[in-house]
Amino acid sequence: MKLRFQITKDKEIRFISHLEYVRTIGRAIRRAKLPAAYSQGFNPHMKYSLASALGVGVVSYAEFVELELTEPVEPLAAAAAFKKALPRGIRVLAVDAVETNAPALMSVAGGAEYRVTVPWTGDIAAAVEQFNRAPEVTFVKQAPKTKEKVKTIDVKFYIPEISAVQREDETELRFHCRITHNGSMKAVDLLNTLNEQYGLGLPVEKADIERLDLYRVDEQGNKWPMLDSLYIQG
Amino acid sequence: MNKELAIDMLAAVKKPARYTGGEFGSIFKEDAEVRIALAFPDVYEVGMSYLGFKILYHLVNKMEGIAAERVYAPWIDMEQMMRERQVVLTTLETRRALCECDLVGFTLQYELSYTNILNMLDLGGVSVLATERGEEEPFVVVGGPCVFNPEPLADIFDFAILGEGEEALPEVLACYQAWKRDGRPGGRQGFLHRVVQIPGIYVPSFYDVVYNEDNTVQSVTPNTPDAPPTVTKRVVADLNKVDFPTAPVVPFGEIVHDRIMLEMFRGCSRGCRFCHAGMVYRPVRERRPEVLREIAHKQVENTGYEEISLVSLSTADYSCLGPFLDEMITDFKDKKVSVSLPSLRIDAFSVDVAKKVQAVRKSGLTFAPEAGSQRMRDVINKGVTEDDLLHAVSAAFENGWKKVKLYFMIGLPGETDEDVLAIAQLARKVQWKFKEITGKGGCQVTVSTSSFVPKPYTAFQWVPQDTLEEIHRKQGLLIEATRVKNISFQYHDGKTSIMEGVFARGDRRLGKALYLAWQRGQRFDGWADVFDFERWQQALKDCGLDPDFYNHRQRGGQEVFPWEHLQPAVNRAFLANEYRKAKQELLTADCRQGSCNGCGVCQRLGVPVMDWGSRAYDASQEKGFASLAEKMAGGDNLSYSLATQSPGLPQRGGGAE
Repeated sequence: MKLRFQITKDKEIRFISHLEYVRTIGRAIRRAKLPAAYSQGFNPHMKYSLASALGVGVVSYAEFVELELTEPVEPLAAAAAFKKALPRGIRVLAVDAVETNAPALMSVAGGAEYRVTVPWTGDIAAAVEQFNRAPEVTFVKQAPKTKEKVKTIDVKFYIPEISAVQREDETELRFHCRITHNGSMKAVDLLNTLNEQYGLGLPVEKADIERLDLYRVDEQGNKWPMLDSLYIQG
Repeated sequence: MNKELAIDMLAAVKKPARYTGGEFGSIFKEDAEVRIALAFPDVYEVGMSYLGFKILYHLVNKMEGIAAERVYAPWIDMEQMMRERQVVLTTLETRRALCECDLVGFTLQYELSYTNILNMLDLGGVSVLATERGEEEPFVVVGGPCVFNPEPLADIFDFAILGEGEEALPEVLACYQAWKRDGRPGGRQGFLHRVVQIPGIYVPSFYDVVYNEDNTVQSVTPNTPDAPPTVTKRVVADLNKVDFPTAPVVPFGEIVHDRIMLEMFRGCSRGCRFCHAGMVYRPVRERRPEVLREIAHKQVENTGYEEISLVSLSTADYSCLGPFLDEMITDFKDKKVSVSLPSLRIDAFSVDVAKKVQAVRKSGLTFAPEAGSQRMRDVINKGVTEDDLLHAVSAAFENGWKKVKLYFMIGLPGETDEDVLAIAQLARKVQWKFKEITGKGGCQVTVSTSSFVPKPYTAFQWVPQDTLEEIHRKQGLLIEATRVKNISFQYHDGKTSIMEGVFARGDRRLGKALYLAWQRGQRFDGWADVFDFERWQQALKDCGLDPDFYNHRQRGGQEVFPWEHLQPAVNRAFLANEYRKAKQELLTADCRQGSCNGCGVCQRLGVPVMDWGSRAYDASQEKGFASLAEKMAGGDNLSYSLATQSPGLPQRGGGAE
């Protein structure tokens, strides 16, 4: 069987890298003494994976880890053990058990919901309206490491709509971002797009980015939760 | 006080997780009565790999009402932003600024980390000079191997703990707690007069140094009856009776030594004459195998680590190593935990052990002959021969290894060009051995040299260090001599070795230059890309100091050294005799297997050597490994000096390069 957990990456550890996050979860699984399955071979690896990578600095309340087991366990008991073995900043929100041959979580994520808060109080209403109305908004994405390679993407393909709320000293944006087998786009690049297209001057480097949810999307475009979950108290 | 590491700061720096803490196993004691910051004067990845602080963190946090928290040196990118925004340096746990702690404890691992100490104090809101520290400021305490000559830092720290901290630090903290509860009688001076009563405590301001006209030290004498004329180091008589951490902090990111560090024993009695650690950590005291296994099991459960590294100054010398390894491997096989011997710079190589622990991948092996010629190896009392090395590499080649790395020092006392060139010849001989055994060419040999730095409390404390010109010339000789197919040559920057030498055997007058160099921007001197030799030279000059006085002068037999009031308990007469024997190329046997050589440590400390070999295991079981232990002469001393010379260098001995 496979266990699936919904876990968090809270504010206090937002700056650990994806790789560090993955390693931390691996060690927690070992500390929790869950009967993890390992790959064969000279250098066996624990069979666990995360549903999607998260950028450094991004807080998330919807990270999903899938762990293959060698023997069945009671999911809630496993979640309790896992919870105790995790550092501050990673909480277990939900758990679910599936057959070993169920499709990998990584392949089913179809979209994510974000909240971005920036200390900025300019007028955003017009930009939001224009963005939402535009049939296409292009953004030139710098491919990491290879500086020459750039990729032009249509932001609207990933993020059809945004909404904004403004408070005394900050602006909060909310939007859904599509995830495909060929990738997705970074939440921070939406801010870059808005700055480029509408001359907003949002302080991108100060943006507080939170992933609120990650979900599956069916062929009709309906959203479904990642887990048929057993939600955990507290 | 601004403590906020804002999103845009963390997003802009390299490795932001260095600064955010919260790792599994970290301990938060919000309302402790006494708080000590364990401050490591280098970056997080280096500091988190330091076993000493893992031990003290665990130990202190067990004490009622007392908290130990961690703080590391922010890298230059972060420091710059902190200074721009006036953000104070805090601990990782409860985010106390250093100036809000009761004590700030630095470990002195390496002379070239001293500027970072000044910098961290300054960033933490603590007055850098001890004399300027106000009543409300923390006490700055130092410990670690360089504490046997902390004189260049005498202006900076309030007091030092000499030797092992397991017993001494809790005593100091209890003393502080009592003083604080009593309403701080006598102020800062009052506390210093109290704490100096504890054995092993050194308060530099309680001593006056008088210099001769030739700038050597005439005397170091206490200026208060409370301070003893000499301070002798503390040691734990029986390591089995002190706590060893069972649930250390598990970092998120990769650190230099990212595994369980199981300390097998302290001290090394091999007696290599260049080795500081080999002298100041005596006597050898082993942990019992059953105690070690119990600790290992607990640590595996509590950390989730997949590797246990058996650490000490020369793990191959652990008296019960063979059977212990077998038990460990059996114990942990099903838990997918491997066992490695990190500091095993093997001279005579046992394929059995290497295979067993999988410390060594087929990619490469590291050996540490330390010197190229037999003559020089005898001078340094290395106790291994060319045959040992060739025998060892033969065994490796027969078992499929194709790459060898060889560690050497250049600039050892009495070294001739012939001795230097013997390094290249030895590398050639290793290649020939490969051809002889495999019938093929293509053996890759890497020759790596560091430049010898004479250290206090070694047989070579009297000798001049090679000048920079001489180091460069010798490196040049080797660059030429190693222009051979499949031999590559690496060497340490000679300039850092020169500055390391100045501080290693320096005196209090260097404090001014240290302060000036720091003010002019020196920090992270151990990092070659940041180190600025010219700025150091200028700082020394501007303080009227001559580096050659510290480095390139043969010191007299009767000369009083600046560090002699601080005692690791090794007799000066023993060291002088070792120096004499070095000049005569005579060997001194390991006292652990033979008779006492009279270094004086056991007698002066009243602590005997502890070796469990004969007792703990069936003799027949032990037999197969006796020869192993014998052959694996401890090249580990080098691994120590390398660890201190290049803090960024991951050194997983066993030779997995």
